Amino acid sequence: MQKVIGDFIHALRHHGLPVSPAETLDALQATKLVGLDNPQTLKTTLSLTLAKSLQHRVQLEELFDQYFQQQVSNDNPEQEDSTDQPDQEDSNVAATDNISEAFEGDKSESAEGSTAATLMQSPLGQQLLDNDQPALQMAIASAGQAQGASEMQLFTQKAQVSFRIMQQLGDQQLNQELAELAQDDANLALIETLQQARTRLREQIGDYVEQQYLLYTQKSGEQLRESNLQKIKLTNVDHSHQQQMTRLVQKAAKRLATLHSRRRRVTKRGLLDVRKTIAANAAYDGFLFHTKWKSTKVDRPKVMVLCDVSGSVSRVARFLLLFLYSLQDVLPRVRSFVFASDLGEVTDSFDKDEIEVAIAKIMDEWANRPTDYGVALTDFKQLALKDIDNKTTVIMLGDARNNNGDAKSEIWAEVYKRSQRVLWLNPEGRYSWNSGDSVMSEYAPHCSIVEPCNSLRDITRILGTLLQRT
Amino acid sequence: MIIKHKDQIRSPEEIRKNFEKLGYICSDAIATAVYLACQLQKPILIEGPPGVGKTELAKKTAEYLSAPLIRMQCYEGLDEAKALYEWKYGKQLLYTQLLKDQLGDVMRGAKGLDESVERLHQFGDIFYSEEFLETRPLLQALKEPDGAILLIDEIDKADQEFEAFLLELLSEYQVSIPEIGTIKATSRPIVMLTSNNTRELGDALKRRCLHLYIPFPDPKLEQKIIASQVPELGDELRDQLVNFVKELRQLALKKVPAVSESIDWARALLLLNVDELNREWVEMTLNLLLKFQDDIEIVEPEINQLLSNMRKPGRH
Repeated sequence: MQKVIGDFIHALRHHGLPVSPAETLDALQATKLVGLDNPQTLKTTLSLTLAKSLQHRVQLEELFDQYFQQQVSNDNPEQEDSTDQPDQEDSNVAATDNISEAFEGDKSESAEGSTAATLMQSPLGQQLLDNDQPALQMAIASAGQAQGASEMQLFTQKAQVSFRIMQQLGDQQLNQELAELAQDDANLALIETLQQARTRLREQIGDYVEQQYLLYTQKSGEQLRESNLQKIKLTNVDHSHQQQMTRLVQKAAKRLATLHSRRRRVTKRGLLDVRKTIAANAAYDGFLFHTKWKSTKVDRPKVMVLCDVSGSVSRVARFLLLFLYSLQDVLPRVRSFVFASDLGEVTDSFDKDEIEVAIAKIMDEWANRPTDYGVALTDFKQLALKDIDNKTTVIMLGDARNNNGDAKSEIWAEVYKRSQRVLWLNPEGRYSWNSGDSVMSEYAPHCSIVEPCNSLRDITRILGTLLQRT
Repeated sequence: MIIKHKDQIRSPEEIRKNFEKLGYICSDAIATAVYLACQLQKPILIEGPPGVGKTELAKKTAEYLSAPLIRMQCYEGLDEAKALYEWKYGKQLLYTQLLKDQLGDVMRGAKGLDESVERLHQFGDIFYSEEFLETRPLLQALKEPDGAILLIDEIDKADQEFEAFLLELLSEYQVSIPEIGTIKATSRPIVMLTSNNTRELGDALKRRCLHLYIPFPDPKLEQKIIASQVPELGDELRDQLVNFVKELRQLALKKVPAVSESIDWARALLLLNVDELNREWVEMTLNLLLKFQDDIEIVEPEINQLLSNMRKPGRH
């Protein structure tokens, strides 16, 4: 039982369910209690102990069906009964019946069937003739283990692994034998039977490998892709990956949020404020009836973010905004502005709509205009300069490509003076700053930090440091 | 707790049957969860949409095991002073004032500051003893001699620190009070936490709990539930009601009606002597099922469609 559950958990982990050793122990204990008699109860028990969210539960139930369907055919009869589901059992039994029927038919045809069996020297040949299904399945499973069926990386390996399993089972020997038998015409029926059995075996192995692939490999490919997406340039993310990227951004944001939310809230706790208590109770002749508590004001960082949404920057802006608003737990006061030439505040649209919808709307409305940093900064000065104080962090995301207009860097200098700090994130690499119409050098002196930012990893890192210092 | 109720928690099936007798119709998953929670002495984290009977499960478990139900409602800003214990500051202060004179007696004859302090020490920490301890739900649950059902309601509303604070309680069934020491559970309570998923709970908390998700019941189960809660309601009307609610749940509403709303509706229909669902009755009583005006506005034009969907034969 331990091995069955252990393997199952291994498969779960491959599919991205975070199952800890402690949960494994719980699952084992629980399984011991409910027993393996009823597959439905077992499924419920495992999902109670191992899956910790609705999404994981659905995944677990899918995997359970997949996994134990396989187990049924592999394991010894005891477990077969215990873990089987009625419909699967039916189909399995039916399949076995078909096979044995076929064999019986063949046997009655060849009169010297009994002598034929003795002719077979290779173990595989004998097994095939006996049609010993459990033994064959066991053999496939152990050969599969040896040939690394559960360690496949890519789907292209499936054929290779199948071939190797077939080899390990003794296919070559069988082939030789078949060749020998073929010299005698009397053996024709026997050869026919063997060929059929071999084809079936091949199909079984194919199924087995497919199942192993689904259980162990499919998801690790996804993990690989995810880690690649972390590093990819945001400007190059194509549409098909957008969704996945969004999910990744939210995941990363959540991680950051949990990392930083705790530390920030510690200050909320109150202690008895002796001085205030005594003062408040002076009227009662020194008898202290009313208690007064110390409370600390929670210091929340103010963030203003300006996003250039023209051309190539818009893609990065999309993710930065998505990230910032996924951080609402720890950064509740984010004011966001977007601009191409005119600048506008878009904070409200995030309150009204879902993040993704809001961003899509903003992009529709503001993007695709020629950039003019001068106009944008003048607008910003009117809109928000007076709200910037020494607790405000200003984040600018832009490539500073100004179409040769007036940079108005003096406004930016003022922003820098009033705020706690100014971050300038540039989606272009350092080498292309100040080339062409980029005026990065005019703004750079008035920034606390200037950094290239063009992957999810960059965003995570930069916002991580932002949260650390607040 | 386990030993006392050995028979009652013998198997999930047993639990399910007995819950049914108490008027709580539950699925196998719920029964298994309660069974495992009792046997493994692990807390259950119950999630699901509002109104599917999360809190009710705890109440019924308490009733079934005839153990006291201790309920703690969570909210933002809840801390250990309100959840675990607090010193009765008022009482402490009052006593010190009242005992001022006594203090004079104690100190009489003491020479110098050292001796006075020495004498004071002999009285120990009288002001920080259990006499002055105000027990709050968590501590109360631990101190209950015959075990208890501890319901920590809507844990997602509490802060994250509070969640972390619960960890010791949930895994060891003990709490530490700095002035007194560690207090262990006299008899381990059965802990149930409910969450409406307004925020994601921490992994550490989830790891320590069995995770039970209660979805909306399927029509069959819901019929049984309504039959047990409102037995006077006619079979046919009940059938119609359940199917109608099921249709409603398919719509994109702000808040879809849960089981508790179905029960309310069933009671109302009974009271109004309705024998068949038709457009007028539905329109009149829709506000029992739907709690937002927006939702009602969405549903009203659809009522005819919903009613005809409901009548389609062989839909189960």
